[in-house]
Amino acid sequence: MSDSSSSSTVPAGHPFRRKGRGTDGLFKAFFAGNAGLTVVILVLIIVFLVREGAGFFPAYRGELELYRKAGLEFVDIARKDLTAHEQMSSLLNRAYYAQVNAACRREFQRSQEATQVVGYIDDAVAPPRSALERVTEGAGEEGAPAELLKSLNARYQSLLADALAGRPGKGLPPTPHLSDEERAGLLQELGAREPLSTDEPALVIALQEQLAAKQADASEPLAGFRETINAFASASEDLDNLIYETGESVKATKEAATLHEIEVTKRDTLLAAVPGTKGAEERAQLEADAKAAVTTEPVDYRAALQPVLGRMGEFEAANARLAAALGEVKAALPSDLADEKAQRYLATFRKAEDEYGRELADTMPKMQAWDFEKPVGLGATISGFITGRDWITGGEWQDFYGIVPLFVGSLIIALIALSLAIPLGVGAAIYTNQLAGGRQQRFIKPTIEFLQAIPSVVLGFLGIAVLGTLLQETSMKDSFAWVPGFPIEQRLNMFTAGCLLGLMAIPTIFSLSEDALNNVPSAFAEASDALGASKLQTVFRVVCPAAISGILAAVLLGLGRVIGETMVVLLVAGNRIEIPDFTEGLGVFFQPAHTLTGIIAQELGEVPFGSVHYRALFVVGMVLFFIVLAINWSAQRLLHRFRIGQD
Amino acid sequence: MENPEQLIRKGVHHDGLKEGLVKAFLGSLTWGIVIVALLLFGRICWDGVPVLVKPDFPFIDVAFLTEKTETLHVFDDANAERHSLPASEYYQWVDEHGADAVFNAQTYSYSGGGIAGPIVGTALLTLLSIILALFFGVAAAIYLSEYAKQGRFINLVRLAILNLAGVPSIVFGLFGFAVFVLVAPVFTDVPSDRSLFAIPLGFTWLSFQGWNSSLIAGSATLACMMLPVIITASEESLRAVPQGFREASLALGATRWHTIRKCVLPFAMPGILTSSVLSLARAAGETAPIMFTAAVAAKDDFPWEGVSGPLGVLQSQVQALPYHIYTLAARIPTSEYTQRAQYGSVFVFLLMIFMFSTLSIVLRNRVRSKLKW
Repeated sequence: MSDSSSSSTVPAGHPFRRKGRGTDGLFKAFFAGNAGLTVVILVLIIVFLVREGAGFFPAYRGELELYRKAGLEFVDIARKDLTAHEQMSSLLNRAYYAQVNAACRREFQRSQEATQVVGYIDDAVAPPRSALERVTEGAGEEGAPAELLKSLNARYQSLLADALAGRPGKGLPPTPHLSDEERAGLLQELGAREPLSTDEPALVIALQEQLAAKQADASEPLAGFRETINAFASASEDLDNLIYETGESVKATKEAATLHEIEVTKRDTLLAAVPGTKGAEERAQLEADAKAAVTTEPVDYRAALQPVLGRMGEFEAANARLAAALGEVKAALPSDLADEKAQRYLATFRKAEDEYGRELADTMPKMQAWDFEKPVGLGATISGFITGRDWITGGEWQDFYGIVPLFVGSLIIALIALSLAIPLGVGAAIYTNQLAGGRQQRFIKPTIEFLQAIPSVVLGFLGIAVLGTLLQETSMKDSFAWVPGFPIEQRLNMFTAGCLLGLMAIPTIFSLSEDALNNVPSAFAEASDALGASKLQTVFRVVCPAAISGILAAVLLGLGRVIGETMVVLLVAGNRIEIPDFTEGLGVFFQPAHTLTGIIAQELGEVPFGSVHYRALFVVGMVLFFIVLAINWSAQRLLHRFRIGQD
Repeated sequence: MENPEQLIRKGVHHDGLKEGLVKAFLGSLTWGIVIVALLLFGRICWDGVPVLVKPDFPFIDVAFLTEKTETLHVFDDANAERHSLPASEYYQWVDEHGADAVFNAQTYSYSGGGIAGPIVGTALLTLLSIILALFFGVAAAIYLSEYAKQGRFINLVRLAILNLAGVPSIVFGLFGFAVFVLVAPVFTDVPSDRSLFAIPLGFTWLSFQGWNSSLIAGSATLACMMLPVIITASEESLRAVPQGFREASLALGATRWHTIRKCVLPFAMPGILTSSVLSLARAAGETAPIMFTAAVAAKDDFPWEGVSGPLGVLQSQVQALPYHIYTLAARIPTSEYTQRAQYGSVFVFLLMIFMFSTLSIVLRNRVRSKLKW
């Protein structure tokens, strides 16, 4: 301090005295400009998202128009029935196999365990074995060098002994469903096996036979059911063929139209360059090139569609066959299945029957009313994007950009994350702020702050390497078989991602809620104490309600963070672009999904610059931006509106 | 004599059990989080430390930190002994023993050698972005705390800061891609076709054709992301300087700028730097913004090799540690041979981040105890 006070005694006539006043305005403008930079960045974000995204809807509309004109849409109306039929028969099949497998669960596990043991041993001795194979195969007439064979054999024996003792990796897989003698016999047989033999051990074969026999046993009383399913499933053959044939035809139309368009664009580019040329020769050359560029005729959509539309009668017959099959299956289905899971599939089928029937009945009027010349409106394009249930890209049939599957994925993951993070984060905040002693506080707070510092990509890596496998292995255990969705089929799923995101949201919710609790004036608690309330009453009836707006804001900001998080969901959520199958009940949480953030990160690097797909990703970014903006904005409003007792 | 407060409590309420239960429940939640955090850290250390530490002098596997990333070749020799060698050593080995001696060859991309490239890339990215963000951020904070009066502009700026802080990192990635990679202005003799527009300057063109995926584009994107945090923290430090300092200086006839430079900034600087260390850690950890703006998965040389001058460094793509981890995690299946690269990178990365975080906490405490008025 002493230094600066002595140096700031500016003598009269010092440059600062005269010039300073004038330049001060400049300094101010400079700093104001920098402050304005934040506004500029925010505006730039919006402008560029809109600029890159704006072209999406017109371009997508053009694609959809071609989709209609070429008749792809017509075929897709019929295809919808086919897909629905496939789903229905897959439900029945799942019910059937659930019923059969429930009966032979034990046999299945025994067989699987034995196979795992064999697989473990095989893995362990793989190197010398395949080397031996190559040596003996490549040896030819004179035989392999004895020295090499000997060393490889010795190596094989030592590795085999190691593996039988369970030394490499995680040790021999556990076999809780095999008896000790069976296990010992299996190991002994494996130990005595020739290095090059790939025969299955007797026990494995026996177990597989047992499994097959049991399956046959279990399926015997269900033979009628099986036949019903097969009859139902085969009813779609006609439609399948029809769709394949007409599909090829309309696809050819679309390709011809696309080719023509490209050629026309090329010609226009060449012609546009003509006025800029200098010599007459060059001009003539360009014009000739332009003329040669277009080699195809414009497509006559009406003529091209004629053969497809002419098969309306066949479509009608196929549709009638499906409807008839539905009627038959309704009557022939068993009323109950013994297994709970099988029964659930059956019940789902029953529930979907009517809707499926209605859909079948709708198809023909829709196909007859379909008109290839009806224009696609911009409103229809936008609503097709917002309510579209498919995000299909890079296919040769037709690309669809529907945001629903991504949005649902993001939403479910956020739901899982928040249902973990809210109780944990808020509970921890209440405990730390109100109930814990100073010593505990000094340990808890920095640890949770460290949790916040862990980069998301590291959490994602841990999700892949540790948590996913751990959850899947746990779900395989018999004692957890009652949990819906267990055993987990996919290692990477929404639940894993939700857990990790919950872990990321905890520090945000914790520290903001703790701030909110801290900001409650101490007079509140003191008054409550003075009135004789117990500690718990003070905490839950006085302090928490006073801080509720801050806690809600913390939860909202946590939600914003979870929705906007990219790396964890990209790595762990499984990246399957599909609306999750809600017929699984709570098991839906264990399915893979894709998210709004993940799709951008995954696809932006691969799409051609300026294409419809590229623009679609910017529109997704725009949606994300405005969702998060709205969440943050409501959090701020909440904080301002319900601010209590702060001066 | 008993404590009267306790007496009153005891007399009125008999629900000590309930209180204990609630407290135990909430406590177990809290300690559950803490234990999960420690488990996470422990797991990474458990698998990461063996990569980085070796039993003999100098106890740290320096090669892992100083070698470039290479493809790992795993194979058996004629004695069925397993070898795992990075690409350069592998070709040497093949030259010596002949290709016939290689059995069961497998390759694992990016898993051999060390992680010098990603470390250098991350260091450059963070350094450059913190310089940019500090320059603009501190200037903005000075305006907000020293010059601004209540008004429409200041409200707009505060709103922008608040909203920028919440923008998801992937949207910053899109923004950086659309602005810095595709349309930022460059001086060039031959404007590219996709240039937004080009201004002729006589001797050269100022073409809005973007910086491509490069160090400078990535740093600028990261800087935009850190800006709101830096502004908020700097403004706080500036406001913490007592009003008396400014008044005294102004009363002595100094200009406003002179006051700020001599009497405000020197006292706010420690606080600003401390908070910037924390944002440094955050910038180093971000992956999504640099995915399309700066990072590449594989690169054979360091950014400064094979380029002309410092401008060339700015225009080159870099490897980055978080992106490297993403590549290792997403594209390469976990196996015993990739574990070294995977857990090693994660461990080094976490160590870096925690060093920054701890540094900032220690610095914050020191600054707080030192600068008191």
